Amino acid sequence: MLAKDFFKRARCFGFGLVLVLSSCSRPVPKANVTELGGGSEFSGFLTTYVNLKPNPNFENTMSYVSNDPAKNIHRYVAVIVDTPTVYISTTAKGKAIPDRGVWALKEYFQNAISGAIEDAFPVVQSSGPLVLRLRSAIVGIDVGQLPANQKDANTLDQAIDIGRVAVEMELVDSETGEQIAAAVDRQNLGEGAVVGSTTFSREEKFRAATQAFDGWAARLRQFLDSADELSKEDVERVESTNFPYASEDTPSK
Amino acid sequence: MTLGAASVALVLLTSTSFGADEISTFSAYVDSDICARLMLGPITAQRIQCSQSTFKEGSEPVLVRLHNNMVLSVNKEKIIRPLVGQLAEVSGKVKPEDGTVKLESAKPITDASIPQGDSARRLLDVRTYRTERSAQLHEKIRHELAMMPYISNFDFISFTQNGADVILTGWTVRETNRDTAGRVVRDIDGVETVVNNIEVLPLGSFDMQIRAAARAALQRNLSRYFWGNGSDIKIVVKRGQIILLGTVSRKADSDLAFIQCNSVSGAFKVFNMLRVQASDKGA
Repeated sequence: MLAKDFFKRARCFGFGLVLVLSSCSRPVPKANVTELGGGSEFSGFLTTYVNLKPNPNFENTMSYVSNDPAKNIHRYVAVIVDTPTVYISTTAKGKAIPDRGVWALKEYFQNAISGAIEDAFPVVQSSGPLVLRLRSAIVGIDVGQLPANQKDANTLDQAIDIGRVAVEMELVDSETGEQIAAAVDRQNLGEGAVVGSTTFSREEKFRAATQAFDGWAARLRQFLDSADELSKEDVERVESTNFPYASEDTPSK
Repeated sequence: MTLGAASVALVLLTSTSFGADEISTFSAYVDSDICARLMLGPITAQRIQCSQSTFKEGSEPVLVRLHNNMVLSVNKEKIIRPLVGQLAEVSGKVKPEDGTVKLESAKPITDASIPQGDSARRLLDVRTYRTERSAQLHEKIRHELAMMPYISNFDFISFTQNGADVILTGWTVRETNRDTAGRVVRDIDGVETVVNNIEVLPLGSFDMQIRAAARAALQRNLSRYFWGNGSDIKIVVKRGQIILLGTVSRKADSDLAFIQCNSVSGAFKVFNMLRVQASDKGA
């Protein structure tokens, strides 16, 4: 367990280092943000929204988990984690959202959700049978204010406000694209948080941003755990049939 | 003199650094992977027969360390292939955390060469190997393992208990299941030592296709063994080999499962280790 924590931390550190080095050494590619359509309840990112219902176990969250015996979460053993898509808020239209910052958001969140789920669903790179694809979107980023004292090589020209961000996620079959589970998480974890640096520096508001992304990732894991829970009937069946091969003889008292 | 002292120091340093790499010599039973993970306990004639027949059918050779029942995969299989079903004295670098040994040498030995009172003798004689367990502790371990989350049709986790010592065994597609099983059993009151022989299977696309196809074929033809989100039949796939495990109620169902899996494209060997419920064993 300690070793796992070490590797997680090392990976986060490595990820930060890569960001710093990459920001110094080459031009930043276009980050592809998508503008939100006005007046719509959802971004349009998910394959479908028709199955979503308020989830009583998660505040401000709508979700869907397929109960189809042939296509449900229990039938898969691994997952591909796609790079998240970012949608800008309607109020941010026409304003400059820095590509470096959007990449930092995408990579941090992808890393956070991979870390949160990988011990339940090993992360793989190729689609195939028994493999899910996790698609996610950070919806509603806006431009924000940089703190006055924040200035170094990693500082963005313009801060990104994640104060009203929602997260939309779905698990689809990696071969057919069919939706197996989905969630729209509007829990306002990013309240007061801005990203002003590619390294999510230690400044309080930036730390709030990393906590928000970690929080959404943790809620995703809780959602998966609740979807994986066995029904009462399944528990009874497991209890009555799961005997070890080496227990044929009667145990002594 | 100074040179001599320096040489001694160098030798000491060298031996210390080799010590960190730990080449150890130990007694082992050369088994097949399947029998090592299913037939725990003393080395009986039945076990030797299982080892030799499943090895002949393609199950890879492994070592079972005699003093604690730990299953070790080896890097140089050809060294131990001629020794399957026999005892051996083995030298190599053991990595207990991932159940492997980097083999240096292996030579056959007889049970007489293992001294009386040596812990390695425990597995040698069914008369001296006594499985001591309380029904309550056994049930507690069984329950905890059965209730583990994220166990799929492709995971098989089993155990044996000898007093306060537990040996975990089986195969899983999730590394976390190996760790979780070890942790939950270690945390049970009354358990003192845990040897974790659960093997983590690779998730290559070839094996994944076989897993999906085998499950589909079995579910189509033996649907009554598949329920809700689980199944009574476990499908372990390892490098193109299918190992069928679990319990079915009729011999005919066991045969049908074997036939169905043999028709799965890409599967080059099926080991049918399904148990048939006692009332239908003769049918």
